[in-house]
Amino acid sequence: MGSLNDKLVISDLSKGYKDKDVLRGVSFTVRDGEFLSILGPSGCGKTTLLRILIGLLHPDTGTVVKDGVDITNAAPDKRGMGIVFQNYALFENMNVVKNVEYALMIKKETRPTAHEKALQMIEAVGLSEYVKAMPKNLSGGQQQRVAIARTLALQPDIILFDEPMSALDVATRLSMRKELKSIQSSFGTTMIYVTHDQEEAFALSDRIMIMDNGVISQLDTPETICEAPANDYVRSFVLDNLRAKIDSLSKYAPGLRE
Amino acid sequence: MKQRKTTKIIIQLCLLLFFATVVIAPIVGMFLRITPESFREMTSSSQFMPALINSVTTTLTATVISVVLALCASFAVCRTDIRGKSFFAMLFTLPMLIPSISHAYGLKALFGVNGSGILSVIFGDSISIFGFWGIVAGSVMYSFPVAFLMLQSILQYEDGMPYKAAAVLGIPRIRRFTGITLPYLKKTLISTFFAVFTMIITDYGVPEALYNAEFGKTVSILMYENVLSVEYGRASVVGLLLLIPAVIAFAVDLLVPEQSQSGFVTEYAEPGEGRAARTAAYVFCILLSVIVAMPIVAFGVQMFASAYPNDMTFTLSHIADTMRSGADGFLLNSLIYSVFAALSGTVLAFICAYLTARAKSGVSNGLHLISITSVAIPGLVLGLSYVIFFHNTPIYGTFFIIVLANTIHFFASPYLMMYNTLGKVNPDLESVGRTIGVGRIRIITDVILPKVRFTMYEMAVYFFVNSMMTISAVSLLAPPSPKPIAVMISQSVSQMQIEKAAVVSLIILLINLVLRLAVTLINRRRQPA
Repeated sequence: MGSLNDKLVISDLSKGYKDKDVLRGVSFTVRDGEFLSILGPSGCGKTTLLRILIGLLHPDTGTVVKDGVDITNAAPDKRGMGIVFQNYALFENMNVVKNVEYALMIKKETRPTAHEKALQMIEAVGLSEYVKAMPKNLSGGQQQRVAIARTLALQPDIILFDEPMSALDVATRLSMRKELKSIQSSFGTTMIYVTHDQEEAFALSDRIMIMDNGVISQLDTPETICEAPANDYVRSFVLDNLRAKIDSLSKYAPGLRE
Repeated sequence: MKQRKTTKIIIQLCLLLFFATVVIAPIVGMFLRITPESFREMTSSSQFMPALINSVTTTLTATVISVVLALCASFAVCRTDIRGKSFFAMLFTLPMLIPSISHAYGLKALFGVNGSGILSVIFGDSISIFGFWGIVAGSVMYSFPVAFLMLQSILQYEDGMPYKAAAVLGIPRIRRFTGITLPYLKKTLISTFFAVFTMIITDYGVPEALYNAEFGKTVSILMYENVLSVEYGRASVVGLLLLIPAVIAFAVDLLVPEQSQSGFVTEYAEPGEGRAARTAAYVFCILLSVIVAMPIVAFGVQMFASAYPNDMTFTLSHIADTMRSGADGFLLNSLIYSVFAALSGTVLAFICAYLTARAKSGVSNGLHLISITSVAIPGLVLGLSYVIFFHNTPIYGTFFIIVLANTIHFFASPYLMMYNTLGKVNPDLESVGRTIGVGRIRIITDVILPKVRFTMYEMAVYFFVNSMMTISAVSLLAPPSPKPIAVMISQSVSQMQIEKAAVVSLIILLINLVLRLAVTLINRRRQPA
């Protein structure tokens, strides 16, 4: 049983396809209001795990409990969660405000209320100037903000992110990181963030869950992972990679290592 | 979640069953008609071997000419900097909008039955349009646009980088063509060759109009005659024979790996700027345009001349006569057949493509394969198989069997159009829908259909245009009433009413052209995706 501030308790999740086990007995908890990153290389099972959490996939074994309620078999829209996909999955035939409104109208909001709420969310993600713009006319970072606004509009307790910055350039990524943290602190939403980028995970997270081949290698704060990596995999995949980056940069900025 | 999966599989199984009933079962039924006796009777008949030799020789000759011309034309349009490329490309594909038999009558109009055509006046009456070269010429006219479209569509998306690299390395142009272009085109050239070969050998419109006693018949004519004399067993032997090149074409398309990698192309190959190449391209395109347009112009002249080619005074009486003889009714029938084929075909193709591209299950691959199988069944063979399979059913001889035959006959291309388009639409839209409580159907209607509507228009036009002009399956299946207008062409000619055939051909061309242009304009106006 989890502690009082555990938002999500995942126990013994397994999922396999044909002859491959993608997840093998994964158990962990997510605390209320925390930013948890799931970090691992391609094919380690992190996206499968995210899709099980939101309800798009059903696990072979295990349970997902949210606020003390077993939601393993609940429909995706009944879980109080939202998701931002890697490719944002915006409705390309609708402008920015309609993209956000659409979700609200489905939840039986009246058109004026839905419109009002949509505008608030769009303002919260800094896109007020682009209310009537079509998605194809927005940059990658702006499209991502629309996807976040659409998710936030439904007021989920937890937002899941599936590698949302992988298609963005470096400068946009850096500004989006700040944006995400500020959205999280304004809305107090629990965020679970899937990435294969070590730097991103360390920059954003309260805790990081490192996955390898369908199992959890380590789940800790960034500091603890740096100080006491659980095994060789964590050391090589996370720390060695980060060190290599610092080494290459410190050639040109010697003060960086300190 | 389990219920959603079950529903998906049930729908896919129902569609599989439908296709098994309207595609596989009729073909199997046709095979079952072949008995050792009918096989012996057909193959040992005095007409069979000469007809087979005639078919193979005319088809091989016409295929080679058609593919070579198409390669030159697509090269001129895609790889030289001539002006008016869109115009030439449109003109080259114009013959696609009229029935094959019209091409043959166009040639007849140009050369005349006894040297009385316009070209016979110029070249003398030593040139006869009947027999081997006439059938070859008609078949080239009929098949060239398809070969051109296949080659043009692949040439215009070729990667430009290998050419730049070759130019930097100083590799001569001819070596670039043999070393880069030809290997890139290899698969498409093979596919085009088989597609054109199948098209020509299974067509009976051109040979029926242009064979003569000296040359003899082709196998497609033999098949048609055997169906008319209710010799289904013998007709099925020819049907089996005609299926062979189509199946090979289908297998080649599936098995030969694709050379083009449009997904990784950063810039397309640019047109060359050589003056000699430009001049050659202009000469070639203008000459080809004249040749392609001539039969159509001849129809126009025939339609408005009092007694072509002897009395060329202007008249509208042929149009009035054609309408009086019931063309308006036939036209209405065709419009109804074509609208229904367009509607049912587009809806069915969308559902199948959606299920195989975006709602995959254990039976999706089977559904995909059976959806593209119809491309391997020539219209004449499909028509025969339907005659045999549906003969004692209530739909035989009705409006429904024509719409069904046209829907199935032309199904594969629109299905593939939609399958490819849906494959490019964001794969997570349905997932987003589920997380916000929107079902699959609502996401389809609210988001996916608006996104793919231009492909839907293309599909509908494809079904419509082909249904308007097809005579292969329809000629075997058309009820005495209501008959489609394309069938009226051969009827008019058999009654020596050539002017009526010209009027009907031009009506079909005009309707198809207007629709084709309308959709092209609508699609051109759309914002880039």
